[in-house]
Amino acid sequence: MKEVHNPALQGGRLTLFRWMGATDSWQNAMVKRGNELLWKVFRYVVVFSLAFVFIYPMLFLVSQSLMRAEDISDATVQWIPKGFSLENFIFAINAMGYWSHLKNSVLMAFGGAFLQLIGCSIAGYGFARYNFPGYRIWISLLLLTFLVPPQSIIVPLFLFFSDLNWRDTYYPFLVPALFGHGLRGSLFVLVFMQTFRGLPHQLEEAARIDGAGAFRTFVSVMLPLARPAILVVFLFSIVWHWNDTFFPDFYLNQDKDYTLNQKLGYLAITNQIDSTGEEAQKSDDAIAQLPTNYQKIMAGALITILPLLILYLFTQRYFVESVERTGIAGD
Amino acid sequence: MKKLRLTVRTRSFVEGYFFISLWIAGFFLFMAVPLGRSIYYSFQELKMNTGRMTAEFVGLEHYRYAFTVDIDFMPILISTIKTVLIQVPLILIFAMFCALLLNKPMRGRLFFRGVYFLPVIVASGNSLKRLTEQGAATLPIFKQYDLYTIMLNYIPEQLLTPLLTMMDSLMIVMWGSGVQIIIFMAGLQSIPVSLYEAAKCDGATPWEVFWKITFPMMMPMILVSTLFTIVDSFTKVDNQMIKYNWTLMFNKLSFGYASAIGWIYFAFVFLVIFIVLFMFRNTSALAQERR
Repeated sequence: MKEVHNPALQGGRLTLFRWMGATDSWQNAMVKRGNELLWKVFRYVVVFSLAFVFIYPMLFLVSQSLMRAEDISDATVQWIPKGFSLENFIFAINAMGYWSHLKNSVLMAFGGAFLQLIGCSIAGYGFARYNFPGYRIWISLLLLTFLVPPQSIIVPLFLFFSDLNWRDTYYPFLVPALFGHGLRGSLFVLVFMQTFRGLPHQLEEAARIDGAGAFRTFVSVMLPLARPAILVVFLFSIVWHWNDTFFPDFYLNQDKDYTLNQKLGYLAITNQIDSTGEEAQKSDDAIAQLPTNYQKIMAGALITILPLLILYLFTQRYFVESVERTGIAGD
Repeated sequence: MKKLRLTVRTRSFVEGYFFISLWIAGFFLFMAVPLGRSIYYSFQELKMNTGRMTAEFVGLEHYRYAFTVDIDFMPILISTIKTVLIQVPLILIFAMFCALLLNKPMRGRLFFRGVYFLPVIVASGNSLKRLTEQGAATLPIFKQYDLYTIMLNYIPEQLLTPLLTMMDSLMIVMWGSGVQIIIFMAGLQSIPVSLYEAAKCDGATPWEVFWKITFPMMMPMILVSTLFTIVDSFTKVDNQMIKYNWTLMFNKLSFGYASAIGWIYFAFVFLVIFIVLFMFRNTSALAQERR
């Protein structure tokens, strides 16, 4: 760190010193600039290549789902198919019954997320702002809920919901969500708790002095301030509900109730069976048949996550900003 | 004066419980009771008879069976735990690396952040499973350029094979680290700039700054994301153990045995979590104090 006290490095004065013939410090400066440039180039290369790794599967998905049967058997086609066709998408939309199952997914994901928002924010506020006897017990139970894998209680829950006749309905997703549980509910309670802890007390006190009750203070003063947390919880909750297949596979066993992700699973299974079945019948056609079905599955996968991608595209900007302000990490 | 303080305390008591009562009710309905029942089931033989469940007490039979008779259980358990223990540190290191990269001001930072969080949207669920089946989850370089045979010239095979399996799961690691990147980035933002300025004045190198300032300050976030990663990877649907449990429940309909297996697995997960908490005991003490 020899150069630190060197005045020649202080920004604009560099050119002045160069003209004054201060060769020694000029060299130092050039070395440092070179290092900085090299470092910058290196960082951009790393960032770009990592970004590529993240985007690569998406590109793969798009490219594969646009391919026609001819393109797959064509060895010259690697990424960009020679003709444009949406046949795979049309097939997938029809085979999956896309629109009706999209409705199911939206109902489950948005409904679950919305109710989770209500339940978790209320509980999070209680944990953040009040100190009552038994507080320590409840907060440790909250942490326990966060750590218990849902798989270890799925059998009793399943039997419980069966007793209530809630199988093949969406209640198993919606009701626990309202109580501040459900899919990773305790994580969301913790996020809200962390956010409310970071907010100043004065606003609440002012509201109370003005005569607002506890709940009123919470709804009209504190909740609007927790907007970043609301956005984060809402988005995460939608995404996790949408992509979940574990719980839907338990509770939803009628074709009309399936979510998109479940339907995608069945699309994949049936198409694989079809292709092997045909393989047995006409073996020379099997090679052409097998990959074609994969393109259809890829198209199905793409349209399954498409709503999420669109949602993310619009909220991305706020999302990233609010994550930073939520203090998810906190302490 | 005394009376007033009492009322404030009672009020806080009533209001506090008012806010968390819904959660407490949910806790008993959807967590405590099922948890207790699943312990109870694990000592029972449950049978479905024309839609009705009949139970028969068998004691520790299921546990004995899992460890001594069931030839599938132990290998699956061990390999699951091994995979998770390898993946968790890799995910954390990678997430920290990405967070540090993205934290520096640069052109198109917003775009890159958007891209880096993309896995959070796509990485769970069936879409990723379909992609992995297609081989999109392994990096193409390793296959296409015959890297294996080239590398074999320089690296002994005993070392190369585990290295390449690690590289193979690299994609999974990268795709599993979206949430952790977010947590770390939020953490990096919360470190006061004045600390860095002070270090710079004292002539610290970036390497020293990372280990002496960034790393200690990030300790609570590292704890949070370690716990999250462990819980997340142990409960992922494509986890072997979870799959096995699912098969037991739905294909063989042995609910009692599935519960017992779930509890053994859960015990191991908790053991891992306790070890982690023990390793981080200073951090959690610090967090308690600060509160």
